[in-house]
Amino acid sequence: MTPALAELSGLLPSLLGPDAVITDPVRLRTYECDGLTYHRATPAIVVLPETAEQVAAVVTECVRTGTPFVARGSGTGLSGGALPRTDGVLIVTSRMRRVLSVDAGNRRAVVEPGVTNLAITEAARPYGYYYAPDPSSQQICSIGGNVAENSGGAHCLKYGFTVNHVLAVELVTPDGEIVWLDTMDPGYDLLGAFIGSEGTLGIATKIVVRLTRAPEVVTTLLAAFPDVESGGVAVSAIIAAGIVPAAIEMMDALAIEAAEAAVRCDYPAGAGAVLIVELDGPGAEVAGQFARVEAICRDSGAFELRVADDPDRRAAIWKGRRSAFAAVGRISPAYLVQDGVVPRTALPAVLAGIEELSARYGVRVANVFHAGDGNLHPLVLFDDREEGAGERAEQVSAEILDLCLAHGGSITGEHGVGVDKSRYMPKMFTAEDLDTMQLVRCAFDPRGLSNPGKIFPTPRLCGEAPGVRKGPHPLVASGEVDLF
Amino acid sequence: MDPELIRDCVHCGFCLPACPTYALWGEEMDSPRGRIHLMKQHVEGTALTPEMAGHFDACLGCMACVPACPSGVRYDRLIEQTRAEVERSHPRSPADRAFRAAVFSMFPYPRRLRAMRLPLRLGRRLGPRLQPLLERLDPRLAALVALAPPAPRRVRLPGRVAARGRRRATVGVLTGCVQGEFFPGVNAATVRVLALEGCDVVIPPAQGCCGALSVHSGRPQEAARFARRTIETFERAGVDTVVVNAAGCGSSTKEYADLLSGDPAWAGRARALRFADLAEYLAELGPAAERRPLPITVAYHDACHLAHAQGVRAQPRTLLAGIPGLRLREIPEGAMCCGSAGTYNLFQPVAARELGDRKAAQVLTVAADLLVSANPGCTMQIASAARRRGERIAVAHTAEVLDASLRGLPPSALLAPGRSTP
Amino acid sequence: MNAGEALAASGVTVRAAGPGDAVAGASPRWVALPATTAEVAAVMGAAAEHGLAVVPVGGGTKLGWGDPPERCDLLLDTRRLNRVLEHAAGDLVVRAQAGVTMRALAGTLGTAGQELALDVPHEGATVGGTLAAATAGPRRLRYGTARDLLIGVTVVLADGTTARSGGKVVKNVAGYDLGKLFTGSLGTLGVVAEATFRLHPLPAARAWITADADAGTIGAVAALAGSQLEPSALEADLPGAGAPGTVAALFEGAAADERAKAAAELVGAGAPAAEPPAWWGRLPGEEFLLELRVLPAAVPGALEAVARAAEAADLRPRLRGSVASAVLHLALPADTPARAAEAFVPALRAALAAHGGRLVVWTAPREVAARLDRWGPAGAATLMGRVKERFDPGGRMSPGRLRSGR
Repeated sequence: MTPALAELSGLLPSLLGPDAVITDPVRLRTYECDGLTYHRATPAIVVLPETAEQVAAVVTECVRTGTPFVARGSGTGLSGGALPRTDGVLIVTSRMRRVLSVDAGNRRAVVEPGVTNLAITEAARPYGYYYAPDPSSQQICSIGGNVAENSGGAHCLKYGFTVNHVLAVELVTPDGEIVWLDTMDPGYDLLGAFIGSEGTLGIATKIVVRLTRAPEVVTTLLAAFPDVESGGVAVSAIIAAGIVPAAIEMMDALAIEAAEAAVRCDYPAGAGAVLIVELDGPGAEVAGQFARVEAICRDSGAFELRVADDPDRRAAIWKGRRSAFAAVGRISPAYLVQDGVVPRTALPAVLAGIEELSARYGVRVANVFHAGDGNLHPLVLFDDREEGAGERAEQVSAEILDLCLAHGGSITGEHGVGVDKSRYMPKMFTAEDLDTMQLVRCAFDPRGLSNPGKIFPTPRLCGEAPGVRKGPHPLVASGEVDLF
Repeated sequence: MDPELIRDCVHCGFCLPACPTYALWGEEMDSPRGRIHLMKQHVEGTALTPEMAGHFDACLGCMACVPACPSGVRYDRLIEQTRAEVERSHPRSPADRAFRAAVFSMFPYPRRLRAMRLPLRLGRRLGPRLQPLLERLDPRLAALVALAPPAPRRVRLPGRVAARGRRRATVGVLTGCVQGEFFPGVNAATVRVLALEGCDVVIPPAQGCCGALSVHSGRPQEAARFARRTIETFERAGVDTVVVNAAGCGSSTKEYADLLSGDPAWAGRARALRFADLAEYLAELGPAAERRPLPITVAYHDACHLAHAQGVRAQPRTLLAGIPGLRLREIPEGAMCCGSAGTYNLFQPVAARELGDRKAAQVLTVAADLLVSANPGCTMQIASAARRRGERIAVAHTAEVLDASLRGLPPSALLAPGRSTP
Repeated sequence: MNAGEALAASGVTVRAAGPGDAVAGASPRWVALPATTAEVAAVMGAAAEHGLAVVPVGGGTKLGWGDPPERCDLLLDTRRLNRVLEHAAGDLVVRAQAGVTMRALAGTLGTAGQELALDVPHEGATVGGTLAAATAGPRRLRYGTARDLLIGVTVVLADGTTARSGGKVVKNVAGYDLGKLFTGSLGTLGVVAEATFRLHPLPAARAWITADADAGTIGAVAALAGSQLEPSALEADLPGAGAPGTVAALFEGAAADERAKAAAELVGAGAPAAEPPAWWGRLPGEEFLLELRVLPAAVPGALEAVARAAEAADLRPRLRGSVASAVLHLALPADTPARAAEAFVPALRAALAAHGGRLVVWTAPREVAARLDRWGPAGAATLMGRVKERFDPGGRMSPGRLRSGR
């Protein structure tokens, strides 16, 4: 242990109380990874603060001793965004979990970062409101983590992402100062830049979220298609009809098999793909839209339709979808969850490409995706006891991202870049793009102590002036796209 | 600790919100995911440190994480194996050892429990003066006294009760240790309800402990001994179905075949005997006897070993809701353990008390006349937490509510203060 | 090579500036008219080498907004950046150059039955100017503002670096969102060259309801935000000075009329109309324009505060804006005495701040403006200053436009 860390492990208990500082090696190791277990690093110290002031005190001490720090919420991230630093302090917000206020009159709630996404909805429900972004892990993922990752969810097709639902944030800057970023403030939208910055610009300690009025009617349709292609046709037709459903989700046969094994969701037998379409809003609108969606699904080849308009039956339809990721554990000893985005119209081509990759490498891929906004979650299955299987799965997973980029998409739609995908950033962005993003980083965190090593492949020091580099965009150079 | 079972965990964290100790402390190593990580560290060669053992001991064994897990991790098996490993290789302090020995030499033995009733009753009467002293001496002793229900008069059950009306089935009834000694009214009600619903009921005398406390505390050999004895008892009684009215006993008796899997003959005998929870059994049987109105508001509390371990959630609610005039209310955060958890409130009294306080607060928010549960430990725990808040919660077992309805008793039969059942 | 020669050598159309090119009193020497992002970069590179202060302009509709530039050597006119580069109708996405006017964009999108659901108050406003000033209109309630609809941006920095963030997919969390940072930056961080937006299908129908404004109807219209009728906008027009005010609500969708009728009953409004009231989506004035941002429930209090401050300063402000997303514009006559303004603005700002509100002075007559703090306090002022310092260390991008270090 370095002298700085030794000093901190002596000092921090006096600032936070002995129960809030972990230095026992066995305990520390339980924090070695988040939801992505592929990357592991045991933190030197874990702290469990309960107030913004405590977070600020820890950060201030880290700055003084030049110690890197990483924030972590519930540890459910899938890109290693909360991967600890072996030479740093892990600041865990799981004890900052008070819903400070639910203000129905202003349609907002103020919560601490460790509050789970679902807990906000539960707190708002008695007032007829809910918190709209709903990642599949909403029952456990923390709102602080949602802010760091700009989390989406199945319903962001209509309602948008975390950034569209957070009105203000109290943050501890990488200097250890407590500052409010507020959408009401004039000037640069620093709040918008902070959300999705994966803990590299500071730590949110209070979050003001917008609450959304619960819709009058919610209707969920489960449509079974013979194959993914016909499901894709239905998705395009729904959008072309000028309908914006709350959610359009698709699962392919292998994903359905996994979900059946895990939660017996009882989807129509023999389906090559199922589409879940949820419409919500005023009853008068939903009724009309629903009739059209139903007709479109039938015309596109759906052989069975199920409709749910009460919470229990709706939950039954969603059960399979919500459990899909972890459920894959039932049909494969190991798997990688990929997260890529393509323009919705490129879905058929990209899915065909994934199928081709799967055949070429002999690796099974289950597809679960937010079809409405082209966000794919291919689950690449492998047996980790088989020699070379992991590497092959990695290769397939990487090539899927190449496929997404070639179609003008993104390397991540909601899981974030973290430590896992920083190496893909230069495929999506030029050196100039990345250098410019670094300017933001340097403005917030000139010392580079806040979650270093995430997002950016080779962060330059803030003292180094990024040179003006010229040259074609890497994707343009490779002939994959003409221009973004 | 089976490495294959450990490997099933994909570290997704879906178990965290279900875990009572994570709710209390917000620490990774006091969550199912964290405990599985500790198990993994141990099987990979890290010695079982006192810190590790502490986190395993802190697990209530409520099993709420099992149904919460989308990957199907068998945490129930893992923690059982782990507790056995802790008992084998973790040296406990002499005081700790003595207290554990005392508990395990008393609770599974009805006669010894009976002997304890007087001192406990004295303890209760002395309670207010004794409590601070005990608290200083050992909070676990304080917990023991505070939790003890008023010791009731014994109820002697006949060996056999004939079905009323047309006989639809013949079943055995497990009387349990704590249930039998402290809540004999529950057993009597169970027997009456079964008989009124058309069952010939067989109640073998001199039943021992079913082994639940032992199996949940890492004492598999002792548990197996109890299991074999219980199986023999009911084989001799000539029944193939045994109705169990205590959640903890129900879940452990259902797993006899697993517990005895080392001995194929015994495992086969275990499989031949069906143990069913009372509500589960009655729901299958279907109502036959007339339900008379019971105009009360009931909050139903899911006992962990019924809801999580046995998956019995809907049946007791259906039975209760089937009583005319009875209004059923759901308790917020209903899936969260009350902290009783078998012997947990004896070994981990501080955490148990915090959980009890949370649960009592939630129960009080629904403003029910009566709290109903299928586990005596839960109702003892919640009622005692309510007493600490200066509130009184009338409590009853599902069997007693049904019994009152079938016999046409007034609500006061369940709500009267000083009623000696849980 | 001097600056003028360097600009000419960049290959971009550059002309000498005339008196009509002044921005809020600052007169440039040259005007550059790039037509591509590469040309913007070339001009900016040349400007960087010669330390020129650059002010980007689009349609010129908001030149008077914000503090006047302290220096302006080169006006970067984006109006030749006027191409809609890609409209992927099936993906509900459009990519356009910064100089495309919002009206032209709407025309292109409309042919495919789509729209950028962003109401802009000025006819000739461009994409770039709309982002730089972060203007939005009534439907901010339903669709958010420019920052919520922007999914990708290409910017050119003071040193000529071209940088892109986001992309052309709606869902994307790779890297920092520079688009958000530039939204509202008033040209002080760099030049927005291209922007990509998410689109919405044009609603099948629109229906407005209106009612005379009084405390009761204002409250009732605001309360529609908490109803399940999903209004798209809830606005009020309060001309003041004894003139009658109006409240109005907009509903969009196939069943807009039906929903509007239901709302009309709640509010006590008349029958729905297919056209908006004349004032809808327009600013209440241009010469002296304030923006009030308050919490939704604080609208009645804000209206009272305006009335009190106006009475104390003997002013007759005209108010218009959203009563639910709670952004209200307040216009004062151009001949408002400086002393009255000096009393009114701080008093109103303090009254709003007491309930978590903000007050921004967008435009003001020159002699009045000099005596006013346009922005008021912001929690993140220091951080904003640091961002500016990193993006534009030479202080050459619209210098002084966002004063007090920003």
